[in-house]
Amino acid sequence: MGMGGGMCPGAVSGVRGPAPTFAVPLGFRHGSAVLSGPRAARGLPGAGGAAPRAACALPAALRRFLRAGGGAGCPAVQKAPPVPGPLSWRRGRGRCCCRFWCCCLWPPPSTRTKWASSTGERRGSRRVGSPLPWAGPAPAAPLPPRSHFTGAPVPSRRRQQYVGKLKFASLEASQGSKKLVVATEENVVAALNSRSGEILWRHVDKGTPEGAVDAMLIHGQDAITVSNAGRILRSWETNIGGLNWETSLDTGSFQGAALVGLPEAVKYVAVLKKAALSLHYLSNGHQKWVEQLPESESTQYQLLYSRGTGVIHVVGIVPQSHLNVLTFNVEDGEITKQVRVAAPWLGALQGCCAVVGEAVLVCVDTAARSLHVCALDTEQDMRNIPLQSLELEFADDFQARILATQPSVTSASRTQFFLQLSPSHFSLLQYKQGLLSHLRDFQQAALVSFATTGEKTVAAVLTCRSELKPGSSDGLHAGSTLEDARRQDSLTCSNQTYNINLYLVETGQRLLDTTITFNLEQGGARPQQLYIQVFLKKDDSVGYRALVQTEDHMLMFLQQPGKVVWSREESLAEVVSLEMVDLPLTGAQAELEGEFGKKADGLLGMFLKRLSSQLILLQAWTAHLWKMFYDARKPRSQIKNEINIDNLARDEFNLQKMMVMVTASGKLFGIESSSGTILWKQYLRNVKPGSSFKLMVQRTTAHFPHPPQCTLLVKDKETKMSFLYVFNPIFGKRSQVAPPVLKRPILQTLLLPIMDQDYAKVLLLIDDEYKVTPFPATKNVLRQLEEIAHSIYFYLVDAEQGKLSGFRLKKDLSTEESWEVAIPTEVQRIVTVKGKRSNEHVHSQGRVMGDRSVLYKSLNPNLLAVVTESTDTHHERTFIGIYLMDGVTGRIIHSSVQKKAKGPVHMVHSENWVVYQYWNTKARRNEFTVLELYEGTEQYNATAFSSLDRPILPQVLQQSYIFPSAISAMEATITERGITSRHLLIGLPSGAILSLPKALLDPRRPEIPTEQSREENLIPYSPDVQIHAERFINYNQTISRMRGIYTAPSGLESTCLVVAYGLDIFQTRVYPSKQFDVLKDDYDYVLISSVLFGLVFATMITKRLAQVKLLNRAWR
Amino acid sequence: MAAAAALRSRRFKWSLDLGAAPGARPRGAAEGRGPLGFADRQLGEGGVHESDKILMEKRCWDVALAPLKQIPMNLFIMYMAGNTISIFPAMMVCMMGWRPLQALMSLSATLKALESSSRRALQGLVFLVGNGLGLALALYKCQAMGLLPTRPSDWLAFVTPPQRMEFTGGGLIL
Repeated sequence: MGMGGGMCPGAVSGVRGPAPTFAVPLGFRHGSAVLSGPRAARGLPGAGGAAPRAACALPAALRRFLRAGGGAGCPAVQKAPPVPGPLSWRRGRGRCCCRFWCCCLWPPPSTRTKWASSTGERRGSRRVGSPLPWAGPAPAAPLPPRSHFTGAPVPSRRRQQYVGKLKFASLEASQGSKKLVVATEENVVAALNSRSGEILWRHVDKGTPEGAVDAMLIHGQDAITVSNAGRILRSWETNIGGLNWETSLDTGSFQGAALVGLPEAVKYVAVLKKAALSLHYLSNGHQKWVEQLPESESTQYQLLYSRGTGVIHVVGIVPQSHLNVLTFNVEDGEITKQVRVAAPWLGALQGCCAVVGEAVLVCVDTAARSLHVCALDTEQDMRNIPLQSLELEFADDFQARILATQPSVTSASRTQFFLQLSPSHFSLLQYKQGLLSHLRDFQQAALVSFATTGEKTVAAVLTCRSELKPGSSDGLHAGSTLEDARRQDSLTCSNQTYNINLYLVETGQRLLDTTITFNLEQGGARPQQLYIQVFLKKDDSVGYRALVQTEDHMLMFLQQPGKVVWSREESLAEVVSLEMVDLPLTGAQAELEGEFGKKADGLLGMFLKRLSSQLILLQAWTAHLWKMFYDARKPRSQIKNEINIDNLARDEFNLQKMMVMVTASGKLFGIESSSGTILWKQYLRNVKPGSSFKLMVQRTTAHFPHPPQCTLLVKDKETKMSFLYVFNPIFGKRSQVAPPVLKRPILQTLLLPIMDQDYAKVLLLIDDEYKVTPFPATKNVLRQLEEIAHSIYFYLVDAEQGKLSGFRLKKDLSTEESWEVAIPTEVQRIVTVKGKRSNEHVHSQGRVMGDRSVLYKSLNPNLLAVVTESTDTHHERTFIGIYLMDGVTGRIIHSSVQKKAKGPVHMVHSENWVVYQYWNTKARRNEFTVLELYEGTEQYNATAFSSLDRPILPQVLQQSYIFPSAISAMEATITERGITSRHLLIGLPSGAILSLPKALLDPRRPEIPTEQSREENLIPYSPDVQIHAERFINYNQTISRMRGIYTAPSGLESTCLVVAYGLDIFQTRVYPSKQFDVLKDDYDYVLISSVLFGLVFATMITKRLAQVKLLNRAWR
Repeated sequence: MAAAAALRSRRFKWSLDLGAAPGARPRGAAEGRGPLGFADRQLGEGGVHESDKILMEKRCWDVALAPLKQIPMNLFIMYMAGNTISIFPAMMVCMMGWRPLQALMSLSATLKALESSSRRALQGLVFLVGNGLGLALALYKCQAMGLLPTRPSDWLAFVTPPQRMEFTGGGLIL
């Protein structure tokens, strides 16, 4: 077919510029805002979502009648509170009025328990799996009291806050201390409550490298951080998290920072850059002096040392040549001494060298198996001390490292230090008065750390209880070659049980009763960092707590003798992929369902089975009733029913789901959506950082005897190799199904709607030779594939080469290229490609015009929206391009170029519309553009949609709007049947999520309202879309650094589940058309039932009276 | 009424002539002097019956023409009510539609009442046409108000999504 050739943006046909008309008087704008207010407040779907009205399946005439009559009859509707208004939630006691009313009479027992459970465990209490509460204080208004009733659509919104993987941590050396200050890879500086693990305060810097924290130093109650590659020096008050001061530093690559003490006090902080050393006051950040470093072009200055003697030592290295040792005077910054020490064997300072004792530089030479020492104050040469005499054995291919400690910057370092000889072999050495002595050897040690309290300095050693083994023997075999590549540097502890012991550094003696034993999950991650908080107990013995960070970014705070005080799953700060899976049925329901799954064994047998399952249901119901009465007597706070994997069951409205989250660290989580409890976690240890993930649900929970099944495709960016991980999303267990071994890199996957005999959807994996591997690959599947192969197409987008290509599947599972579109990479590059969501339902096939004709939507399920950005970023020449293409034929249905526009472009593609947002460089503002596609007043083919037979191009309508803020994520709501009107959920950089009715972004909004447009409920066009704070669905629960929003339908048509993720995770429900299928919160049950009973009673009485009267008359 | 009068005249065979002068002496017995009010000639049937018939006919025409007479009034109400949909015009349209329907449903009773008339077929037809016109008028009003499901938009909710003939998927190369 070949649409190829240079698609020059200028030559593209149908170019449409931004459409907004801005010459609109202010008053008009204002008026429109007023108009849009009550509309939104009523939750009327507007013209765009004629859907809810259509829901009733009444003839439109009757609906019109009802609507009009209702509108005139009850003006009070207009006064309803705005949609997400926090005050409108009183008690979540709504009930579904139509199809679920019977649930009130027969509620499944499990749901009741679950909902009641959330009341008690909201804060603090330990849970199964993770003791982490949904952190953060309860917000003032939005969190309503949890409903006592079951399954009631309580507006649930929960947030969990994270800090990310630790870079620096500081634990105060006192028993009563409550906080630990951390700086993380996510550019966060925070303080955690060491009792509960909650965040005391948190400062989130930019997510770009500009915000990266390069160093953190703790001095008393202040934390000093250096960030933005050494450009900014900040001091934080650690108790409340306030900023003491902030200074900007000169440019130059950051090398190190250290506190500088005079003998009496610590007054300064020194910052070492590539070419300069500067000293700043700790009290206000002012610079005391800055000195250029000599020979800075050739020398890499990396080490900074002071010990309260009034001088600062700076050590620089010329690799494989010599060291440059500079000594600065603290008072005036004068270089008092400059020594050149020959060290031709030394390649780098970091790790290899450390300063011990009275400013003695110790370096290890792995090749010669010896130590080199040099006193910085006095000596000019390095002394060589061979280590053979100490019987220390160096491991092959391992660069030995030295770890020393300086308890206080006003005094000398400890003379003891650790020498790491192999990944699991450490040795405690002492260099004192020119003598090197060996204190203790630690085999099988995973991590070591020093800690000091008062005069005592201890060394903590984390060892594996059993033997450390190379390779992941018990880990997850993903059946790929990835594993072999990782075998080299991985040492696993076979039973995942670890010990931490304390040793006195002076002697190397083990301190008694200082063992902490803890377990990590089987097949889990190894510990990666160890921080010790040591303190003296009343009896002068040493007590301690330990903070352990594992490979999968889990933080554990441990207490003697092995109690986990709290743990945090910090990998959840980097969620990359997310799916929501329905929870399974309860045991009783499953029993009933199972009846239909099994083979029939006679009429009587089936009848008996039915009786028995009904009996089980009755039993469960009575148990539930009993429990309800029993619980009713207790105060609500005491009712504890934890959600755990055993009592997990679907509620009647399917509002609770399992969120399966994939994080960048390779850890998978199963989180129950309503409470945020982590129910399972699974670490994939052979996932390299920077891999790409694709998560697919192959089988849902709907096919009862078969467990649900999710498949995760992991592709390594470097080796391009991929593997599949198949698991049960409810229990997190690895599935028994063996995924195919992927020998070639996988380019894309395709989840087909066809199923195998076990109801698993077929997954097609396309490798780099464009061959297709089906999974599962049973005979049944292959036969089905052969039958429908002619109708399966797929498209691949290569952003690097600017190529879009479409392929057709052949019967032998090979492919044939059917089209190709080239977008020249020198002009523009492809940034996003979005198809439609496969689970999206569109209820209404058209829109009703004012003259009561129908404008049919062009609902092409194969439509792709491709966004390109120009490579030229000059503000006059930059542009973005939008292409709407058919994924089957490659036909470009619409293309437009927006000049003087710049990314990042956020886009939502759904139904028959595309909304995208960009930066207008000319007007310097953010703008939305909406495209809608219509077929016209006639449908070309109402029964079947084929991309190959579309002679008429759809009509494209377009309109643009000004948006007052940048956005960080955007998604559209989705519901079960697509009847509810759609809202756009827009994540703002401020952390709020704005729920914007799609009716506001409707290209049919007229500039001059007419009778017909009013009839259609079209809002008159106004160029600016305003941000109303009452449309924030998360109120004050802001989500830091939001990266994505995920929406999922629930069992209620009105309700859409929303998960926003970034540094924080937030879950809530939204009701775009209000809860039209649920009785209102303030529904007056008492009045209505009393009237009903009263009437029945009155009827009975009057009947009796009438009888008496008749009788009397007959006697007369 | 006419029938009842006829019945009465047949049963009471005597009549009182109140026209006679009170002071006049009674006429001779030879003349067959009867009691007060006695008339020796038989009461004539023709005169009274004739006028009853005319009355009945008239009455029947009234019944038959009633629906037609309603129409100008209805037209006026329709015009006054306008085409907006609100509770009162809606009620009026309902009444306008309901009354002819009701009349048509009780058609047999009406025809029975018209039995005595000589031209009852014509009257029945006129009655039917009148009601039919009333009904048509109500329908027209409904149509003008947009209450009839006559347009494609009214059946939009029942349009099923077309079946998908091809399946496609993919995306950016992972």
